Amino acid sequence: MIESPTATAWYVYGVVAADARPPDAVRLIEHDGLAAIAREVPLAEFGEDVLPLRLNDREWLGANVLAHEDVLHAFLDTGVVPLRFGAIYRDTREVERMLEARSAFFRSALVRLRGQVELGVKAWLVTPADPPASSSPAVGGRAYLERRRDQLTAARERVERATVIVADAHRRLLEVAVDGVVNRPQPPELTGRSDEMVMNAAYLVRRGDEAVARTLARLAPSSVDEGVEFELTGPWPPYNFVPADEEASR
Amino acid sequence: MSSELGYRSGGPAPAQLADVLERVLDKGIVIAGDIQINLLEIELLTVRLRLLIASADKAREMGIDWWEGDPFLAGRSQRRGLESRLKRLERASGLTDDDDDGGDE
Repeated sequence: MIESPTATAWYVYGVVAADARPPDAVRLIEHDGLAAIAREVPLAEFGEDVLPLRLNDREWLGANVLAHEDVLHAFLDTGVVPLRFGAIYRDTREVERMLEARSAFFRSALVRLRGQVELGVKAWLVTPADPPASSSPAVGGRAYLERRRDQLTAARERVERATVIVADAHRRLLEVAVDGVVNRPQPPELTGRSDEMVMNAAYLVRRGDEAVARTLARLAPSSVDEGVEFELTGPWPPYNFVPADEEASR
Repeated sequence: MSSELGYRSGGPAPAQLADVLERVLDKGIVIAGDIQINLLEIELLTVRLRLLIASADKAREMGIDWWEGDPFLAGRSQRRGLESRLKRLERASGLTDDDDDGGDE
């Protein structure tokens, strides 16, 4: 057990109003009505000399990123401004100073996000089952190339139809949500799924609002016919909807 | 509880890890800690993740390859090698002019 005060630091997950109730694993560092959700972490893990290695350690990064999300998840009901992974302070005094410096930003962000959560909507273009193998298996290069060209044309048309479907879905979801953003689709290396992701969006909604789910349910039957499958995730802390902090670049 | 949308029963499923990584590493506001090097590392991490999302190949070039040994994330990698080889052959034969592997940022 290392007792030295320099052996730990404070990892900050997000900012809430000071009257929020923290789960056991974290503590609130309060300043003037605001509170940073923080946890004391060992510098042996989060120190500058080891962090670069840790970031490339899939086990470590995965566990800590999930923990970050878990902590913020506990504040879904009260409203939270999520920080990105890795805001680490030497002591609580520095955390208070950060709250002080960005007080106006955090206050307005909390007002804007109060009672609201993020829902994720992804769409997948499901790979069709392979057509039955041709009855003439060894017809030579030319026939093979022609068949391959037909397949490519069909695949391109599927993508075009899917693009229309997801654009329409996004438009409809924006109508029922407070706000929405479209992010870059995740690559298969990240999703582990062979189907192509054709939409990766997030919507800000009032907590408990099911309009997004209802809209997707309505779109599902006709979309599935075209090979497009929607997936709903969340509720998430509103990572995608934190207003820009004009002071951030200073 | 928050399970009304089928998320979070006993923690996120493996497929959710990608969603969590994307949000926690690339979204949310950036506030620099006071441990100097961390600012640098966060920037680096963010850049790396953006690259990963943009192109796994580019990320691999930078040495970001932790997903490759991961049974949940690595699923497609081998198959991909085959696909790109097939694509190269098709391009060489003049059958297709597609430019969809690479290109835009």
